[in-house]
This record gives sequence, C-alpha cells and structure tokens, in this order.
Amino acid sequence: MKKLTVFLLTLAIALSLTACGGTSGSTNQTDMEYVKEKGTLVVGITNFAPMDYKGTSGEWIGFDADMAGAFAKSLGVEVKFVEIDWDNKVLELDGKTIDCVWNGMTLTPEVTNSMECSNAYCNNAQVVIVPSNMFDKYQTVDDLTDLAFAAEAGSAGEAALNELELNVTPVKTQSDALMEVAAGTSDAAVIDSLMAAAMVGKGTSYSDLTYTVALKNEEYGVGFRKGSDLADALNDFIAASYADGSMLKCAESYGVQATLIEQ
Amino acid sequence: MKQILEQLPIVIGALNVGFIQTLKLFFITLIGAFPLGLIVAFGAMSHFKPLSYFTRIIVWIVRGTPLMLQLLIIYYFPGLVLNTPIWGSGESGRFAAASISFIFNYACYFSEIYRGGIQSVPVGQQEAGLVLGMTRSQIFFKITLLQMLKRIVPPMSNEIITLVKDTSLSRIIALQEIIWAGQAFMKGSQGISGAIWPLFFTGVYYLIFNGILTILLGRLEKKLDYFR
Repeated sequence: MKKLTVFLLTLAIALSLTACGGTSGSTNQTDMEYVKEKGTLVVGITNFAPMDYKGTSGEWIGFDADMAGAFAKSLGVEVKFVEIDWDNKVLELDGKTIDCVWNGMTLTPEVTNSMECSNAYCNNAQVVIVPSNMFDKYQTVDDLTDLAFAAEAGSAGEAALNELELNVTPVKTQSDALMEVAAGTSDAAVIDSLMAAAMVGKGTSYSDLTYTVALKNEEYGVGFRKGSDLADALNDFIAASYADGSMLKCAESYGVQATLIEQ
Repeated sequence: MKQILEQLPIVIGALNVGFIQTLKLFFITLIGAFPLGLIVAFGAMSHFKPLSYFTRIIVWIVRGTPLMLQLLIIYYFPGLVLNTPIWGSGESGRFAAASISFIFNYACYFSEIYRGGIQSVPVGQQEAGLVLGMTRSQIFFKITLLQMLKRIVPPMSNEIITLVKDTSLSRIIALQEIIWAGQAFMKGSQGISGAIWPLFFTGVYYLIFNGILTILLGRLEKKLDYFR
C-alpha cells in the first residue's frame, strides 16, 4: 500500500512537471509582423537544382533561392536558407524553425491543406524513369501496368501512380527512387521532370537510365504557416515581378523560363 | 572509375565536413553522458523511494522509446506546442537539440551499466571499509569506483561504438552529419549529381574511427587489469 502511494505521488510530480511548461502566451501578432520583428525570413529548402543549390562559393543560388532573396528584400528583412528533411516540412513550419518552404514544391492537396500556399508560379511534370534499353517498350501510360515502381513517399509522383492503381513502393527521396531502378530492385521510378533532366543520362551515375512517359502536369508554389498573411504578400510580389520582367530574367539565368506561369 | 577519381577530392572534402559534425556530436555526448549517467545511477539506487521510482520511470521512458522519436520531440516540441522555438533555425540550434537528446538517451543506458558495475562489487568490501572507519564517500571513491571502472569497460565499449553509428540518426532533424553529406551527392551538390558511391563511402569513415576506438578501449582494459 505504502509503495503504491509513493508510486502515485511520483507520477503526480512527474505529470505536474510536464504541465508547467504548457503555459505560453499566444500573441495576436501576424506572421508578417513576426518575421519583420525577427528581421529574417528563414527559407526551408533541400538541395534541389536548379531551384535551390549551392554555387561555387558556397552560397545558395537557383531560381527559387534568388526569388526568395528578392522577396525578403522587399519585406526589408534578411533571407536565411536552411536545409531541412523534406518529410518534416510541415513540422518545421509549425515549429517555427523555418518561415516558408520555397523549394520547387508541388501544390498537392496534402500541401495546400497543411500550409498557406502562394499562387502557382512554375509548371512541372512527373515522368517515368526506366533503364535505357527498355525505353522503346514503355511509350504510353497503358504500357506501364506490369512494372514495379518506386517513388518518393508523399510526392506527387506517388499520388499519380496510386491514381492509376499501379504497383508502387514508397521510398525516402526521389534520388532513392532512382537508386532502386539502378540497382534493379524496382523496374521504374517516377520523379519530377526538372530533376530527371538534371540527374539521368550521360555524365551522371545513372547513365543507363532514361525518362519516358509524363504522368501528370503539376504546379509549383511556396508554402507558409497555415493562416499566414505572408502568402498574400508573396502573391503581390510575384505578380509585380512578373509584370516588370524581373522574374523572367531570373528564370532565364537558370534555364527554367519555359515553365513560368503567367500571373 | 575515372569519373570517381575526379570526384574524389570534392566528395572527401564534403564528407570531412560532415564527419566533423559526427565527431563533435560523439564527443559532446560522451562528455555529457558519462557524469549524467552516474547521477542517474545514484538516483535509481537511492534509498529515498520517490527519487528511485522517479529515476526508474525516466530511464524506462528514455530507453523504451526510439531515439529518432526523442530527437523529433526535443527539436520540434518547443515550437509546435509551447509556441517558443527555443532552438532557432540554424545549424547550431539543430546541433544543440541533437546533443541534448543524445546525452539524455546515452546517460540512461550508461546508468544501468554503472549500476551493474557498482552492485557487482561485493558488499563485504564496503562492510570492511566501515569497520576501518571510512566514510561513505571514502568507501565509494577508494574501494568501489576503481573496481567498477574496470568491470564496466567491456559493456561501455559496446555502447560507445554504437554511439558512433547512432549519431547518423540526427539527420532526421537535418543535422548535416556524414550520412547527410554523402546523400547530398545523390541529389546533386557541388556540381556532382546522381552519384551513389559517396553514401557507401561514408562506411569507410565509420570503420576506421571505430577501429581506432576499439584499439584504445582494448588498451584501457589492459591498463585496468591489475584490479582483476
């Protein structure tokens, strides 16, 4: 009996300790005010050429990185890039360790439900990757039924495959999906076309792979915390820089001008 | 092969940067967890029951949940639930959160090893100390501690070598340790994209470092041999 009392008492202490931390003042500050007060816009990215990648001197460049820098400047704050684990992007946003996700992010229903998204600014497609010697065999969507696919978990490619009711194994990243095909553990992979153009074919580790059918056209947007007023501010910024041609100029320097969406 | 030779200097440079993070996390965890583990062991062995139960519950929670989950909770919980992102968003914040998680986790494992070591010293020796008029702290430091140290070296070596490899879990909160650095070349980094081999090459770093540790810990064990 005595032991039980001691046990319960200990548990009560432990619980009250955790409860202490629970009080926090939720201020009525908008996200814009929060970022301006902090003086930095923290942009969550992954290493994803040509949108966000490291230049020769080690600074972050790319179409998304440059636009993010220009947007931060228009707000009068510093831009700061942080590499994140793509699976944890919503956690990072809600946990305030980043302020936006600006990394060639496809606007899927999952994304628009969990983030406050900007208007789409770029087009992209999901393409099927197969070994080069299989290229002739797989030319239309109907040819794909017997293949075992690999695709990034939670990606637009995985969603497209599920929609077609094809056999898909979710893997951690798009590059893991490529490795599956290279290693022969999957017959084919689905990744986005910007990445496919940069990563398969001559001069890469995947010179034996090639891309064929495009499964789905998709659009890129920028994600903010749910309810953030920064999304509207960014829409205005994108519209303005599209109108004055600075967005096109930036896109041309990274070779993505063909994918821009008219604002 | 020629391509790999051309890429080698760039890859090694990047892996070295990642491995320094791995090593920093490794040593900080050891420096923090060695003393904290001893404190936890004393807590668990305390004659004051509430303290003993409380410590054992903490050890149960920490050893009973995956380290990966603890990393996620420690890094994201303050911002998500308490609305105060104490870690900030930079590399240093991620490193601090990873260090705290690892120190806590390993202190709990170490505490059980310490407890086993302390309790393996026969009670008769403590009684002998009491008869000779030694104080409790004298008995601990002059009789128990050194014999305990000798006995815990093999199980500690196990944990220390596991720790070297466990540091790779910290990539879940985007700490850029060596596995992260190796994986970066799969997507594309510093002009190399779609390269798989750097990821597997990180294994060489782990092997060499663990080899050195094994030799050093073996020597330590020999040095402590005179306790038998």
